[in-house]
Amino acid sequence: MEPAKISRLQDSHGFLDRVIGELRSVQSPQKDTLVAVLQYLSDHIRTTRSEIGALRGDQAGQQLFGSTADELEEIVTETGRAANRIMDAAEAVERVAATLDAAPQNALVDAVTNIYVATSFQDITGQRITKVVRALQDIETKLTSLMDAFGPPEASAIAAPAEAEGDERLLNGPQLEKNVSRQTDIDALFESLG
Amino acid sequence: MSLNKSMRVFIVDDYTTMLRILRNLLRQLDINNVEEANDGETAYHMMQKCPPDLIISDWNMAPVTGLELLRKVRADARLKHIPFIMVTAESKTENVIIAKQAGVSNYIVKPFNAETLRTKIASVCGAMT
Repeated sequence: MEPAKISRLQDSHGFLDRVIGELRSVQSPQKDTLVAVLQYLSDHIRTTRSEIGALRGDQAGQQLFGSTADELEEIVTETGRAANRIMDAAEAVERVAATLDAAPQNALVDAVTNIYVATSFQDITGQRITKVVRALQDIETKLTSLMDAFGPPEASAIAAPAEAEGDERLLNGPQLEKNVSRQTDIDALFESLG
Repeated sequence: MSLNKSMRVFIVDDYTTMLRILRNLLRQLDINNVEEANDGETAYHMMQKCPPDLIISDWNMAPVTGLELLRKVRADARLKHIPFIMVTAESKTENVIIAKQAGVSNYIVKPFNAETLRTKIASVCGAMT
């Protein structure tokens, strides 16, 4: 066998298989152990390649990382809306408080101040979630690099994502804003069903 | 020295919720002359046109962070004297040291309470009245 020039990890799987083939034809009592080790490595590379491919899910149309990041960003948006609604209410209380006597006014202003401060949870959770989203994007980039290095998985080897069964498949949690059905849409659908 | 409650305060944060919180808390301190921006770049350009009396800024913003804004302010002859309070979730010792070395006047870690904000403003601008 001619010495192979391995420039990319992508070639390693085929290269190993060729080495194993060559070794099998060698008459040597030590070859079996070596063949077994190389076969193990070859199988391991094939499995890893398939698992990474399934995790990325491009071919199965399951954008796992993209969808998870979208869900997390939706949390930031939703908590932002909630925080603003809370502050709308607090500002209304503050305006009414200004018309009251000193004692109740001070008590209400103190409470409203605490509400303002408490709504800063949105900023803190937002920053934490943003960090998680960036980490997910980083992992996805590294997985893409690994996939490029290992080469694409064999189509038959891609594990299909686990499908929920029965009523469980109906439980998908809140929908993303871009996918959500308005109440009017639901009403129309409900009516159309007779 | 009493605090000038008509002073012009510039608040900078990429979260509009936090800008609203700061504006409300400042209003409760009778500080109503408040300008705001969502990022350091916009803030710096606005400040150059009309320098404020106090800057309260988040750190973690893009494209210009609070630290970069602080450095720009401290390098600007017209702005370098302005008290600058960093309000941030970045609470590592290293961050505080770097901000201090860059010339920050005070440092508030999120989440903070109204009393902390009042105290820090008083410490950089004079006693509250």
